Order: sequence, then C-alpha cells, then structure tokens
Amino acid sequence: MKIWYLPTLAAACLSGVTATAALAQAGNNEIAWSLKYDPKTLDPAKVDDQASETVRYFTGGVLLRVNRHTQQFEPALAASWNVSPDGKLVTFKLRSGLKFSDGSPLTSKDVVATLQRVLLPATAAPAAEEFLTPASVTVDAPDASTVRVHLPKRVTNVGKVFDEIAIEPANKPSEGRVTAGPFVIADYKRGESLLLKRNPFYWKHDASGAALPYLASMRLDILANREQDELRFVRRQYQVLDSVPADTFDQLARRAPGSVHDLGASLNTEQLWFNQAPGSPLPAWEKKWFTSRAFRNAVSLAIHREDLARIAYSGHATPANGFVSPANAVWYNKQLKPVHADVSAALRLLAKEGFHKTAAGLVDAEGHPVKFSLLTNAGNRSREKMASLVQQDLTALGMQVNVVTLDFPALIERLMHSQNYEAAMLGLSNVEPDPSSMMNVWLSSSPNHQWNPAEKTPATEWEAEIDKQMLQQAEAADLKVRKTAVDRVQQIVADQQPFIYLVYPNMLCAVSPSLNGVEFSVLQPDVLSNIDSIRWKASR
Amino acid sequence: MRLAFTVRPVAWVLLAFTVLAALWIVHRSPMDYAMQDRDHISEGRSAQHSTGTDELGRDRTVRTAAALLLGLAGAVAASALASSLAVSVGVGAAFAPVWIAKSLMYLCDLFLTLPWIFLLMTVRASLPLNLSPAHSAELTFFLLALLGAPVFVRVNYARAFAVRNAEWLLHGRASGLRTMQLARRHVLPHLRPLFLSQFLIYVPVCLIAEANLGTLGLGVTQPLPSWGSMLQELESSAMLAGSHWVYLPIALLVVVLLMLELVLFEVDA
Repeated sequence: MKIWYLPTLAAACLSGVTATAALAQAGNNEIAWSLKYDPKTLDPAKVDDQASETVRYFTGGVLLRVNRHTQQFEPALAASWNVSPDGKLVTFKLRSGLKFSDGSPLTSKDVVATLQRVLLPATAAPAAEEFLTPASVTVDAPDASTVRVHLPKRVTNVGKVFDEIAIEPANKPSEGRVTAGPFVIADYKRGESLLLKRNPFYWKHDASGAALPYLASMRLDILANREQDELRFVRRQYQVLDSVPADTFDQLARRAPGSVHDLGASLNTEQLWFNQAPGSPLPAWEKKWFTSRAFRNAVSLAIHREDLARIAYSGHATPANGFVSPANAVWYNKQLKPVHADVSAALRLLAKEGFHKTAAGLVDAEGHPVKFSLLTNAGNRSREKMASLVQQDLTALGMQVNVVTLDFPALIERLMHSQNYEAAMLGLSNVEPDPSSMMNVWLSSSPNHQWNPAEKTPATEWEAEIDKQMLQQAEAADLKVRKTAVDRVQQIVADQQPFIYLVYPNMLCAVSPSLNGVEFSVLQPDVLSNIDSIRWKASR
Repeated sequence: MRLAFTVRPVAWVLLAFTVLAALWIVHRSPMDYAMQDRDHISEGRSAQHSTGTDELGRDRTVRTAAALLLGLAGAVAASALASSLAVSVGVGAAFAPVWIAKSLMYLCDLFLTLPWIFLLMTVRASLPLNLSPAHSAELTFFLLALLGAPVFVRVNYARAFAVRNAEWLLHGRASGLRTMQLARRHVLPHLRPLFLSQFLIYVPVCLIAEANLGTLGLGVTQPLPSWGSMLQELESSAMLAGSHWVYLPIALLVVVLLMLELVLFEVDA
C-alpha cells in the first residue's frame, strides 16, 4: 500500500504545483513559452533572425499586416492604402488618434522618420533591400495623417515590406520599449527571459469595443533544450509549443491530450540533389550520371515518399512533388501529379541511358558501378531516417548509396566551397509564401543554386527558362502573369528534378486548451499570429 | 582470490555463449541486419521479430547480435594493435639512445593532450565520402587503436628499460646472444603479462569508445549495426516509451562489459 501511496502523493503534489503555476499565470493574465535562443537584436529595423522577428511581431506596430491565416493584407496603423497604377507611389492614410505605448501621439512624422531610418544605408535594415533600390526611395508626409512613399520603379508585392517595418517615435528608436504594437518590452534578461507587457494605447478593439490585447503580459524564456520545453508545457508552465518534432508529437499528444495540433503541410521542403557543378572534383562518369535527366528521374521514381512521411516523420509529413507546398494555396501548381514509386519505370529510364543491372548491382554504359554517397547533417533524426530509407529504396535499382552524416560546418564547407560531394539531402525553410523570396535558389547565377551554384550563364536550356520565368514573375504586376510563370517553373522542376523533393514536413504545435481564440497558420509566428485576440478561457 | 577463481570460468563461458549465440542469430536468421520491414516499425516482440524492430523496421535481434560481433571483433583487434604498438614503441625507446627515448615519450604525452573528439570530427569530415560501412568500421577501430597506444607506451618503456638494465640481460649479451634472440627469449617474455593486462583493459575501453562515437554520429556508418548506432535509439523518448526491447543493446553491452571485467579481475588477482 505504501508503494501505491507514494506516487499518488507525489502526483498530487506535482499536479498541485502545476495547477498553482497555471492559475497564477491565469490570475496575472499572462502566458508563457520559450524562444530557442536570444534575439540578436531588439531594434525592429535590424531584425534578421527568427527570435528577433517573433519579438518584433508582438511589439511592432506596422502600417499593413499580412493576415497569417488568410495570407491577405490588412490595414493596421494605416486605415487605408493604395498603389498608383504605375506602381511608383504608395499612399497610406493613418488611423486617427493613434498613440505609442507611452501615450505620445503617433503621426505621419513618426512614420516618415521610421521609413527614412530603415532606408538609410547606415541602419543596414534587411527590409530596405526589398525596395530593390532603397537609396532612390523617398518618403514624405503632406499632412499629419498621410504618408507617401515614392519608388523609382515598381516593387512586386510591395505591401509585404510594410509588414516588416515597425513604426517608432520620430528620431527616438527605443528597441521595443516604446511601441505601437500590442505589446511592449518591459524587461529583458539576456539568456534568461523576455517580458512583454500589454500596450495600453494599442489601436485595436474587439467587436464589443473592448481594448485589445486581452492578455496583460507574455513571458518568453530563452530555452534551447527541447525536452525541457516539452516538460514545462506538460506541467502547464508554458501555454505554447511551436515546431514540435515529429518523433515526439504523438508522445506529447498522450501526455497533454487535446493540446497538440498537426496543421498539415508546412511551407518547408526536404529534398535531395546531385552535384551537377562542372568544376566539382568528381569523376567524369559521375558528372555524366548526375547531369542526366533520366538518371535523376529514375532516382525520384524509386523513392517511396509515402514511407518517408510515415516512417521518418511518424506520419506528420506530406509527400512532396515540388518546391511550392500545397500549404501555399496561392502559388501551388495543382496540375503537378504526385510522384508514386515505380521501380520498373525507373529501370526503363535507366536502360534507355545505357545503365544495366549485373549481379554486383547497377553499372553504367561504360561499366562503372553506380555507387555514390548521400550527405546530410548529423543530429536531425528525421533526416537521417529518410537517408536510410532512400538508401534502401535505391538498392532496388542496384545503386549503392553510402549515407554520410557530417556536422553542419563540415557539410556547408563541402556544399558551398569545395563542392566535393555527390548527393546531398537537406531541408529548406520558406518563411514567406511569395515565390520572389525563393529567387536566391532558382536563379542560375545565385550562389544558393545548390546543384550548380553561381553559373556565369545558364548551363542548360531549362535553367535559362527558369531564370526567365522567375525574373518575369518578379517584375510583373499582374498576379495572373506571375502565377503562370511560377507554375511553369514548378513544371520544369518536376520534369528535370534538379531537386528531388521528398516531403513537406507538417507544421506541428501544441497550445494549452485553456487559451481561447488561437488561430493557427503556416506562416511565422505559426501559433500566436493573432496574439491580440487570444485570452484565457473564462472557466479558469 | 576465491571469488575470482569461481567467477572467471563462468565469465568465459557466458562470453563464449553470447558470441556463439550472436553468430548463430546472424547466420541463421531469415532477416538481414539492413532489411527494412516497413510495415512493422518501432514494434515490440512479435512472431516475426522476437525482440521487435527499430524505427526503420529492422529486426532488433539480428542487429544487436551483429553489433555485438562487430563491436567485440573490432575491440579485440583494436586492443591487440594498440598493445602491440605500445610494446613496440616502449621497447624501441628503452633500447634507443636517451634523446630518442625522451622525444618519443614527449610525443606520446603531446598525443594524449590533444582534444581528440574534435580531431575525430575533422578526420571524419575530410575522409572520402564513398567509404563503405565495412571500411568505416575498420577505420573507426584503427583510430581507436592509434588513440589507445600512447596511453600504454610509458609503462612499457619503464618495464623494458628495467629489463634492459638487468644483469641477466647483460650476461645474455656477453654470452653472444644477438639482439633478436635477446628480444625473443628474454625481453618479450618479461613484457607478456603487461601486454596481456593492457590488452584486456583496452577491449572494454574500445567497446565504450565506439559506442560513444556512434551516438555522436561518428564511427561506423549505416546500415552496418554498431553499438553506437543502436544506442542512438535511446535518445528518442518516443522510442523509449514504445517498447522495453529498445534497452536490449545497452543491456547486452553492460553484460559483455561485466564479463570482460570479471575476466580481467581474475588476471589482476
């Protein structure tokens, strides 16, 4: 009996402690969760990492907000906005009675000062680059509530830039201490935590006229340890867990029922590719394999993507067929067919290129055994499992694959500098749905054009065609024209397989059932994008 | 003394039985250690898989048996090579001029102070990528042998130096024995107990070192099973919650290490 009582007593104490923690938070009207690392900067103009972006999202007041759920622009500090027909003038009309968190009025003067600071080369604001020629952009304010931005040439999807510029008091940048967003930075202990307090002068109100946000404060602990993070969530010390790994998702579902959410395919992709760089130190026959469209398509056809999703991601991934995820509703090419494994078709493709199977395995037309290494980064369990599954799949074609896991710096050295590798498997995080953000991968001149980086001129006709279509979509004003160009690129990539897309990892997160009004989205921040409308449930 | 006398044969028998059982499993099982049964992933005991499957549906019994054989064979070979190298360098230094002996000893000390885990990562990154899993296993244990040898060099040097200055050796030399004859008949027999101790001490060290390297993603590559790669499963809390059989590799590793310790205890006693 004693043995029975002890754990019961311990459990009672533990649940008492956790319930107390949760109730204390509810009483304070505070929610808590973690950032994986310290924000690199609190200056909203200089944000270029995810932790800083999260802080800016919760504190920054912006002219326009991309609704993370609908992916549409919504006026925020601006009551209305319009772009001139030639795309060179953007005019914002500010809401009346806007105030900063310290109670001072927010006028067009503050907006102009903020935009000018962002455009200054000395600020080195990443958002400035999105204006294409920031030095030639001018801003003026004809009256206290109107702001005009003059662009030297049209910028596609220009509204998105203003979602990234937090308006600050004129000439008094405060690093988030005085804001026009829903929260304001109240305290920051480097390496420990960040405390955000409610902005009492936030412009937004709910349908009943109550001031938003509902929450009084948010505590963001700096915590890199994923297991600690999960433990605190299960103990109800945290209310949110974003980016839950697939291998612990089901376990978390059992430990914290009703709180985990699989939002389906994310915008991210996992892919493998072959090194097609002519200057790489690979034997000539391997270069010939890797530049062969039939070879790449055969490899693609031999891979069981459903197994990758089911086994490597415990079912929390979606088989991939292109670089645009189906979660990206606007840009996904619905005409692309899913790739189903077909070893016979793969062998037929290889046979046409002169490959044939022998007792020892697959050999090419010159008798070289088809043997190559597949490089990936150590420490990513799902990716390592995928590599082992692909290794096994390709044995059906008679290919011998050595899976090599390297630490990230060594991997990058081979991929980006020495180019001494045969095939690689990595993932790509897409923060934005707009294909213009993927230009650095698709333009043949880009150093991130992984299969053959920094080409002086496109090495193949299809790469030249991709260049042409991507530039066209970047310059066109008409969404239909852009969509047609991006669809064409997706089709070329599906035909040529320079990247063999494997899966779209699903967006996995956990939110306390005690919170009301949470909206999920595949865009960052994925869980609390409508932070101003979230509140504790009244029953607590 | 009495305890050791009782335990030693039992430890040897158990060790031999474990190795024979592992050999029998690897050769007689219809499963291959690399075969992925994708319809039965992360499962517990079943009719097809007596101790369940890993995250990729590979038979845990076969993989554990193969890892045991590979680990023991590799550790024995690495330990023999490390001990031989240590004896060779120690004896060579003892019979060499003083400056050579001192240089060799300083070199060994320097070798021991190097941060090997980082160097191993660098070595792994610069190796040819097309290294087959079998070659990666050979290379891993070869590196472990190289890393282990300097640990034993000083003690071999001291012992060989004492032998070199022994009067009976001078008598042998005075009576016309050549260097090789002296080495074979007198020096090496005196170093044999030391060699045997070093060898037995370093076998479990190699087993543990390989396991540690494997959990860091260094060492033997997939799909060849090694204790290191099998212990990686224990990093996944989802796997731990799934089946108790996931502890089989570590339990077996502990048993093997215990048996080796008992054998070693007898030698010491």
